[in-house]
Amino acid sequence: MSHPDPGFVSMSFDSDTQRKIVSHQRTWSPYVDNGGTVLALAGRDYAIVAADTRLSVGFSIPSRNFTKIVQLTDQAVLASAGMGADRQYLHKILRSRLEIYRYQHQKEMSLGAIAQLLSNTLYSRRFFPIYAFNVLGGIDANTGEGFVFGYDAIGSFEKVKVVCSGSGQTLVQPVLDQQLAGRQKYDVPDDQRMASLSLAEAIELTRDVFNSAAERDILTGDALELYAVTASGVRCERFELRRD
Amino acid sequence: MLLEQDFQGFSFDLFLRNQQLLRRWSNESKERIENVLAKPPRKTGTTIAGVLFAGGVVLGADTRATEGNVVADKNCSKIHYIASNIYCCGAGTAADTEATTQLIASQMELHRQAVDRDLVPVAAAMTRLKHYLFRYQGYISAALVLGGVDELNGPSLYTVYPHGSVDQLPYVSMGSGSLAAMAVFEARWHEALTEEEAKCLVYEAISAGIENDLGSGSNVDLCVVKNGGRAVDYLRGYAKENVRVYRKPTGHVFARGTTAVLAQELRKYVQVTRVVSDL
Amino acid sequence: MSRSHEATIPPARGFSSSSGGGLKTSTPASLELLYAAAAASDPFEGIASAMSFTKHLLMHNCDVWTPDWYNPTQDPQLGTTIMAVEYDGGVVLAADSRTSTGTYVANRVSDKITAVAPPYIYCARSGSAADTQMLADTVRRYVTALALETQRPATVRTAAALFRELIYQNKSRLTAGVICAGWDPLNGGQVYSITLGGTLVRQPFSIGGSGSTYIYGYCDASYRKGMNREACIAFCQQAASLAMARDGSSGGVLRMVCIEESGAQRLLFTEDQLPRGWQG
Repeated sequence: MSHPDPGFVSMSFDSDTQRKIVSHQRTWSPYVDNGGTVLALAGRDYAIVAADTRLSVGFSIPSRNFTKIVQLTDQAVLASAGMGADRQYLHKILRSRLEIYRYQHQKEMSLGAIAQLLSNTLYSRRFFPIYAFNVLGGIDANTGEGFVFGYDAIGSFEKVKVVCSGSGQTLVQPVLDQQLAGRQKYDVPDDQRMASLSLAEAIELTRDVFNSAAERDILTGDALELYAVTASGVRCERFELRRD
Repeated sequence: MLLEQDFQGFSFDLFLRNQQLLRRWSNESKERIENVLAKPPRKTGTTIAGVLFAGGVVLGADTRATEGNVVADKNCSKIHYIASNIYCCGAGTAADTEATTQLIASQMELHRQAVDRDLVPVAAAMTRLKHYLFRYQGYISAALVLGGVDELNGPSLYTVYPHGSVDQLPYVSMGSGSLAAMAVFEARWHEALTEEEAKCLVYEAISAGIENDLGSGSNVDLCVVKNGGRAVDYLRGYAKENVRVYRKPTGHVFARGTTAVLAQELRKYVQVTRVVSDL
Repeated sequence: MSRSHEATIPPARGFSSSSGGGLKTSTPASLELLYAAAAASDPFEGIASAMSFTKHLLMHNCDVWTPDWYNPTQDPQLGTTIMAVEYDGGVVLAADSRTSTGTYVANRVSDKITAVAPPYIYCARSGSAADTQMLADTVRRYVTALALETQRPATVRTAAALFRELIYQNKSRLTAGVICAGWDPLNGGQVYSITLGGTLVRQPFSIGGSGSTYIYGYCDASYRKGMNREACIAFCQQAASLAMARDGSSGGVLRMVCIEESGAQRLLFTEDQLPRGWQG
């Protein structure tokens, strides 16, 4: 029998579609995305590491006060978005590695070395990655200059001026790029602009973007934890965010 | 569970039709079209609820609409008009709840005129809704809380599920926040609620959804139908407790020249001609 | 095969051909007309297949964003214990009151015993809430129209045959297990069971729903022919409460309807009024 539509052509599934259908089959996954946003920003003589404190699973909130940040040394602070369990595991092994380093070398690990250590740790799990998206911030112990490192889940990292990760990344990063860039240079923050940004201004900006993220990203909210790293030490502040 | 069942084996239904559709729009690249088609519809991950009291019914809803994890609308309205004595809260796909309630609202007005009455029965709206949703076998994702007052049954409250089943209960909740709301109802509901108590209870139920369910947020809307269906308090923004906590005092400054002028060209588009017509 | 949004009048669905069922022999010929009229507004004429593409999108979306206890494409189910028992002079229908959506109890006091031709014919529903509500509504409409046309109440068998016909003709689209029971002057109290596939069978007693699997043995052992009303109610109470205790999808209160010549009577038993079995 001929088909009423003259343009009708008989077809079968292409391999793409088959794959899509197969991907619908539900299997157990070792990974859960617990949401949340992390941010790190480097100034001339400080670094800011910030994160919200909401832990979510699906549509519910198991915790409104679950820290995503760990202070590794007096010069280095790490924040991780992604899966809560993997984050705790990663923070634990990093702290223990740093403790061993202290015993062996009688000094703190430098920021750059911590950055490389984190990368090595992540890459050691290349084929069963730790589901955490890290931002590392701190100051150089010698010069006091702020530095920030951004990571992917398997250890690729980059030294940058400002970086954001997690569920609010797509909302926050463009604002930071625009606010910290020079004219038209959205790719790289302007050195002069970054140099002239005071710590107080940077905190204002951080609070502002986290409030914006909480407005539009349902996984970000409850409270903002903000670590400011300066030559005089690490200061932790806490600000409330929307709770809905 | 549903997925596993449904994707057992192959389903070729309408695969060909979809390929045809894709081919018809082939001036765009296939990938792009698939992206467009695959954009998830706007959901009102929602808390909606309703409670009966002696003289009427209170409906409530949050005001957040989401697209995936992003809040699409911070103050949308989820309590829809059906008739002067009937209102309906909608959860599910925003487009479906709006289209469905509008369709039934129009049918109810025609029905009201056909039978020459002031008020239509709430059961009539319920029946139309359930038949309509049943016909679409759950593909119209509208989960509804329907409430109103009529001369036949007094205050009525129903939930209508996307597949077309209906429950009639003195207190109901729907949407992703329905568990949070129902927890409040099961703890605090009693038989002799006054209007004020009923409003307070619905407000607390919706608030529980707003706080504890990520799909729900922002404000609480209430709607009270009472006085035999002749009085309605539509309380849009009954509670606005979730507001932005902080804003950068100086605002965001966009320096002049942030948008680069790449080229400049001035043209005179308008030619003024004087036309005098003699009538 | 094209389908439109409008309900179309399908060709006579085999009603004229001999099906060997009791319907043709026990109902008047004017029913044919009724069927044709009913077919014009057939609620089961869906557009389901035309929506399958949308379904893929929706389900994809649901998979990602909705928690497993709230899936709007999930159909509320009457995971159920239902039963009906003939006694000397009438019948008793009994049902639990739980309606669940996945693991969430959507309604803990639902009424699964629906009037088909009150006060003499009722049905107890199990399966999809939407499907069985629509079935009961449809049969009620047919039976009411038939009663008006023939100027006498429909028999229980006629109502049961209508359930059978609708379920059988739409078996691929429906998830419905129905027990239709009632009283009529012709045959007294009767219980008819209509299975998922659309088989109609008269039984002295019938149990159905997910909870029934737990009590087949009990019912077979303790059912007695020619019980009086009280003994029948006690039997239903005992059997249903045993099923409700063991089946996670059954629970809430126990509802009953007793139907005999004098009419129907509703009974309600809350948890504390039910017999308690072994508690462990």
